[in-house]
Amino acid sequence: MEMKKLSMDDMKGSFLVKGTTAWYLNTLRRLIINNVPTLAIEDVTFIENSSALYDEIIAHRLGLVPLVTDETYVDQEKCKCKGAGCAHCTLQFTLNKIGPCTVYAEDLVSKDPKVKAVYPKMPIVKLLEGQSLKIEAVAVMSHGKDHIKHTPGLFYYQQYPTFKIKEHKNAKKCVDVCPKKILELKGNKLKVVDETKCNLCMACVDECPEAIEVKGSETDFIVNVESWGQLTVKQILTEAVRVFDDELDDLAQEVNKIK
Amino acid sequence: MSCGKPIAHLWEEFNKRVNEGEEVKKVLDDLGLERFCCRTVFISHVDLIDEVAKFKKS
Repeated sequence: MEMKKLSMDDMKGSFLVKGTTAWYLNTLRRLIINNVPTLAIEDVTFIENSSALYDEIIAHRLGLVPLVTDETYVDQEKCKCKGAGCAHCTLQFTLNKIGPCTVYAEDLVSKDPKVKAVYPKMPIVKLLEGQSLKIEAVAVMSHGKDHIKHTPGLFYYQQYPTFKIKEHKNAKKCVDVCPKKILELKGNKLKVVDETKCNLCMACVDECPEAIEVKGSETDFIVNVESWGQLTVKQILTEAVRVFDDELDDLAQEVNKIK
Repeated sequence: MSCGKPIAHLWEEFNKRVNEGEEVKKVLDDLGLERFCCRTVFISHVDLIDEVAKFKKS
């Protein structure tokens, strides 16, 4: 397998992966959705809530707030406390606001200064004069299998397009019809400008099948990773591979036990 | 929405800029919302909290 970076920063990455298969990438996609642990608020205790929203709605909104996840925290399922909740897998938050104001995600104060809301300006609820909100919350390190709020990002891929340009006379039509504008006419010859932008819509083939042939590769893929902010793109990928590694180790151990 | 992308923090800026008369398409592009599902949420959302907050919960 060969991986080439097309573009990458902390939040978004695009790669060209050669010599792999769709099912291998799909495994990676499912691992990222289901098995990469992140912190998210799980339990909320309301001391006072005179806002317009019910306790449950606020608790739900708080749960969906992405938190900057420090990798020193351990997935609660694999923690030494066996799911009871300890300082290695949970974190306390407090929030205390008196109206009139808007309560934002940044108002959540954690006991660990490294962990805070990824996007400070996410509105939780609006408070009018005389309304107040006072809560305590516990964030838990868990994975997407447990709740979608723990999923660290989005992973999607498409087959790498291969073009076959044939002898043709009237290819102007397929240049116009391409929604990504990646085809060009040079003199009388059809040319592909940026093939990584092609999304295999086949509009050009429908328009002039005698001039162009487009096929998705079975072994080469364009992979896109988007982070929701808890972890960086690189952390998401390395963590997914690590989780996969652990699971395979577990499987190998079980197989060895069979006599 | 469908994919899980967090967009809540963009709502206030979107609302402010659109109310100031900017074109919706331009604001959505500026905020980096590419997919139509993200865009639908912003275009179709009606903020009711100001109305609802005046009433007492039972």
